[in-house]
Amino acid sequence: MASIGGIPSYILEFGDELVYFTPYTITLFLLALTFTVLVIISRPERQVDIAFGGDAYRAKEISLSEMRFRRFMAIACGLASMGAMVTGDIFNFTLFTAMVGITNVGIVAAVKSPHVQDAAYQYGLVALSATVPLFAGAAVYAAATGSLSMIELMKGTLPAVPLIAKAMLVIGVVGEGMAPFYAAKAEMFRAPGAPYVIMCSLSSLLIFLRVVEVVLLG
Amino acid sequence: MIIRKISHFLCNYENIMPLFAGACTLLFIAGFLFLPIQYTDNQLYPKTIDRNSSLDPYDRGGPPFTQVTIAAQYMENSPAAGLVTSYLTPFSLYLSRTTPHMGTTIVAHPGGIIDEILYNTRGLDTVVEATILFIAFAIASYIYRKV
Repeated sequence: MASIGGIPSYILEFGDELVYFTPYTITLFLLALTFTVLVIISRPERQVDIAFGGDAYRAKEISLSEMRFRRFMAIACGLASMGAMVTGDIFNFTLFTAMVGITNVGIVAAVKSPHVQDAAYQYGLVALSATVPLFAGAAVYAAATGSLSMIELMKGTLPAVPLIAKAMLVIGVVGEGMAPFYAAKAEMFRAPGAPYVIMCSLSSLLIFLRVVEVVLLG
Repeated sequence: MIIRKISHFLCNYENIMPLFAGACTLLFIAGFLFLPIQYTDNQLYPKTIDRNSSLDPYDRGGPPFTQVTIAAQYMENSPAAGLVTSYLTPFSLYLSRTTPHMGTTIVAHPGGIIDEILYNTRGLDTVVEATILFIAFAIASYIYRKV
């Protein structure tokens, strides 16, 4: 039993949902964990705007409550990313992906800037719509194979997963924050407050790396 | 030149939603072309629905204090699965005998029906679902209070 991510070295059992650690998933998990710890302990940046062609500059005022809320969302995003990295269940993976999408919206929706909030709203609509193909993909996985367990898919004893199910899963993940729908997120980066905004980017990257492994399973 | 035009189109974030909707439409059209999709009869958690039962849709049958067999993926991980709906508290039993829709209450009252699939075999899903709702509520309340 081996997947592209390697042989599971440890399996944690939550009823029918298994959490497993392969060299691939544990690497992604540790990356998400490290960045979440960084988010917890680091002090956020103060964004400075410099007037083009002159010496004028000004630092943006950011309230403490706003930063606290965004840190909370960034930590939640990190936890969701960690869950998505190690879960061994297709439906559970889609849930964690949806959670990453909504926490990304939360990270930037707290910013007091109409432009950023407009972008966050548009991205929120995409993330909301993306849950349709995401969960539909998981449903087709269940219907076609009779199982949602990635461990069972790894064994190769189940019927093959239809291509359309994989495509739905991928477009759902892409809608939760990948290019080309990333453009709305690029606008969000006008929001001050690294490392919180960087968590949006990192979580999307991690989810994408994981979905590549997931679609190659069955 | 084409890339520049695409980039110009994408730089307006109001175009992102229509683009995603278009991509989804194409995918679902492709999905129709892939029909029929194979269906495996050997599904997890099968059940027969008895619409006349007051515990519908959570009635999995079975006399009280007797465990009902549930086709779970890893049976050994859920030793308590199948025991939940076969046991009702006296209050729940009273409600099930006096109201026709006891099954819709789930956990809305003490001793209400707990869906064993959700709470025994797929408990982690329940935790994540509730967390998503909590996060959404936190965002909405923060924005509402700020405005």
